[in-house]
Amino acid sequence: MHQPQLCQPWEHRLSRRRLLGTLAGGALATQGEALGPLFAPAMAEELRAEEKQAILIWLDGGLSQLESWDPKPKSPFGGPFRSIATSAPGIEVCELLSQTAKQMHHLALLRSVCTQDNSHSAGVARINRGDPKDRGVVYPFLGSAVAKLLGPTSSGLPPYIWIKPQSGGFKAADAGFLGARYGALALGDGKPPENLLLNPQITPEENELRNELRQRFNTRYAARRRREIADANSYVFDLAQTLMRREDLFDESKITDRDRERYGTHELGRHILQGRRMLEAGVRFVKVNSYHWDSHGDNFNACDSLVRQFDQPFAALIEDLADRGMLDNVLVIVLSEFGRTPKINSHVGRDHWPEAWSVAMAGTGLKRGVAVGKTNADGTFVDGPPHDIGHLFHTWLRALGVPPENMSYDNHGQPLPVANEACSAVGELLA
Amino acid sequence: MQANALQQQFEPKPLGTPLTYERQLCQARHSPCGRFLVASGYDATIQRWDLSQEPPVKLPPLTAHNGWVQCQAFAPAGERLFTADSWGKICCWQYTESEPRLEWSVESAHDGWIRALAVSPDGQSLATGGNDAVVRHWSADSGQPLSAAPHPGKVFSMAFHPRDKALVSGDLTGLIRQWSADSKTVVREIDARVLYQRHNNQECGGVRQIVFDADGSQLACVGQKSPEGGFATGLPCALVFDWSSGKLTQEMQVGTKEDGFAYDAQFHPAGFVMATSCAFPGRGHVWFWKPGEPQAFYQSNTIPNGRSLSLHPDGKSLALLVSLSANGNGRQLVNGQYDGGSARIHILGFSKPA
Repeated sequence: MHQPQLCQPWEHRLSRRRLLGTLAGGALATQGEALGPLFAPAMAEELRAEEKQAILIWLDGGLSQLESWDPKPKSPFGGPFRSIATSAPGIEVCELLSQTAKQMHHLALLRSVCTQDNSHSAGVARINRGDPKDRGVVYPFLGSAVAKLLGPTSSGLPPYIWIKPQSGGFKAADAGFLGARYGALALGDGKPPENLLLNPQITPEENELRNELRQRFNTRYAARRRREIADANSYVFDLAQTLMRREDLFDESKITDRDRERYGTHELGRHILQGRRMLEAGVRFVKVNSYHWDSHGDNFNACDSLVRQFDQPFAALIEDLADRGMLDNVLVIVLSEFGRTPKINSHVGRDHWPEAWSVAMAGTGLKRGVAVGKTNADGTFVDGPPHDIGHLFHTWLRALGVPPENMSYDNHGQPLPVANEACSAVGELLA
Repeated sequence: MQANALQQQFEPKPLGTPLTYERQLCQARHSPCGRFLVASGYDATIQRWDLSQEPPVKLPPLTAHNGWVQCQAFAPAGERLFTADSWGKICCWQYTESEPRLEWSVESAHDGWIRALAVSPDGQSLATGGNDAVVRHWSADSGQPLSAAPHPGKVFSMAFHPRDKALVSGDLTGLIRQWSADSKTVVREIDARVLYQRHNNQECGGVRQIVFDADGSQLACVGQKSPEGGFATGLPCALVFDWSSGKLTQEMQVGTKEDGFAYDAQFHPAGFVMATSCAFPGRGHVWFWKPGEPQAFYQSNTIPNGRSLSLHPDGKSLALLVSLSANGNGRQLVNGQYDGGSARIHILGFSKPA
């Protein structure tokens, strides 16, 4: 006799059905939440039509600014590595970024970043949410914010895709008060959600019939509910259907040998390449995560290992986006929780340092081949106006065509600025 | 000699006031004559002390390098000092006078960080290796290149055999390669891979130092077992190999995973291994262990964070170089200044030197 068992591990993985269900639930939970009265619908449509996109490379922990974007050779804290010239006259970076140095004419550096947290527990969320003023709500991560503000592109693909090591799933937490609909669809190791692709035993004709049946149910469902609810349901089904039709995005046989060589076969290389493919397909916002950037000990051997793993695929990404003309529409961001201490501790490590660090970016709305802001000669503190993550959120939103000063979310009647209103965009970075 | 007898004879005790330097240093070595102690570090200088006076007199530093100076070696007769830096430069010094003289230098001897340097027993040549994974051979008289050969990994350590015409080099992956004395031919490979681990997305560990005993019958190397990334934890460990067979004869592991890398080691003429390890402030051991014995006869963390040790040629004392640099996240000012860490060299005398 069949005996019901306890749940099986596979049941906890993200399936297509669960994805649809989660999205639908999130949509229902947030039905009626549109951009508020300060955000004119006409502006929203205009923004969406521009097809701006973004890719955020998140180096979890802290990338040492001294071993990357802001080297200080011959200073007390300079470390063992050399600085090298780049394709942008007057800008030097650490020798570990030898490939990226050739693409520097496309990049913009902000070397005067000064943030508020030196711990992982508080820092991750604070940076990712743009450090808004505390209004008793949980703000969205940048990807969710962009998903809300700009929605999907005309590709219809999910607006926020997160490529990460290990497992995937639907990550609603990123969305904060926006609601689950604006969370991230995480692709574990860049792979599609389980059961996303059509079961090969179902013929296209059968699938067509199945969809017709669903449409009939939808129509009957919509007839008894408010239009917003029905629209939300359709929205998430359409997203999933679109992703299902893009089997090619996960077909590794379509990756050329040249791309494999240029991006590298290591984890971050594969994931950044997958990120490029998602951008090419029309995903609005792609986040690529790399973990273990936390070199409290043996920092310089760690950087020699890790920074090079970033350098190779990042340089290839910038080169490809530039060659394809995509940098005109795509915003590229490289971000960490904080920088690392100038001081080298007894374990030859660098600890957390939010006081003076750097962020690299490129693409739409930004100047190219510039380094804005500076640190003092020893690299210990910002020399000149410091810039917090709030300034960067303003800058990035403006680069994407969103005027943050004029826009707010409507959280059930509570107007909430899309970025910290005490900050403003870094004008020297904007094109 | 039994362990307790060894301990009675060789337990180290502080002598005098430690030498200090305001920046962190990586490695300390005595000149062959014993009169000079030199130490190099993070500020591209080589610091010198004249030990013939009491207290030791600090001499002007050697200054022609860039980046970090992490390795140095004296010519056997003591007339020259060779140094190498992390920007790829090697220098040959007449170092004994108050005003040192740079005899020759090679600006781009390697592409980047030189991690290891050794001088041949006859003093005619030196070998270097580093992050570019190339073993290079140079004329000691002129700095002219003699040979170059690829290494499978980044070269972290090197030593010439005291009698055989052989050079050994240890790399990040725990591979020790034996070369012909001119570095042109690979003779064999010795497995020290226990000192390496790919942990998460990071390559960790490596053979941090290689030394021979006086008659060349044993080779010891140091690093850490089960090395991990991030906090770079691991078990300080010395591995001892029989030179003729290349077989591992003993693992000399001490402390806990918090005691980090063993950075330096040396055989004492009495036949035991002296090693030191360093990790976060307050961690790390100094230990003396005679091969064949089940445990160290001396092990102490009373002077932690030892980066380097050097036995005085008279065998009566040991210089122990330690790092003094606190860790911690965020802004930490000392008297309004941002402190960058410093170094201290303890001179330790043996209880009853031979």
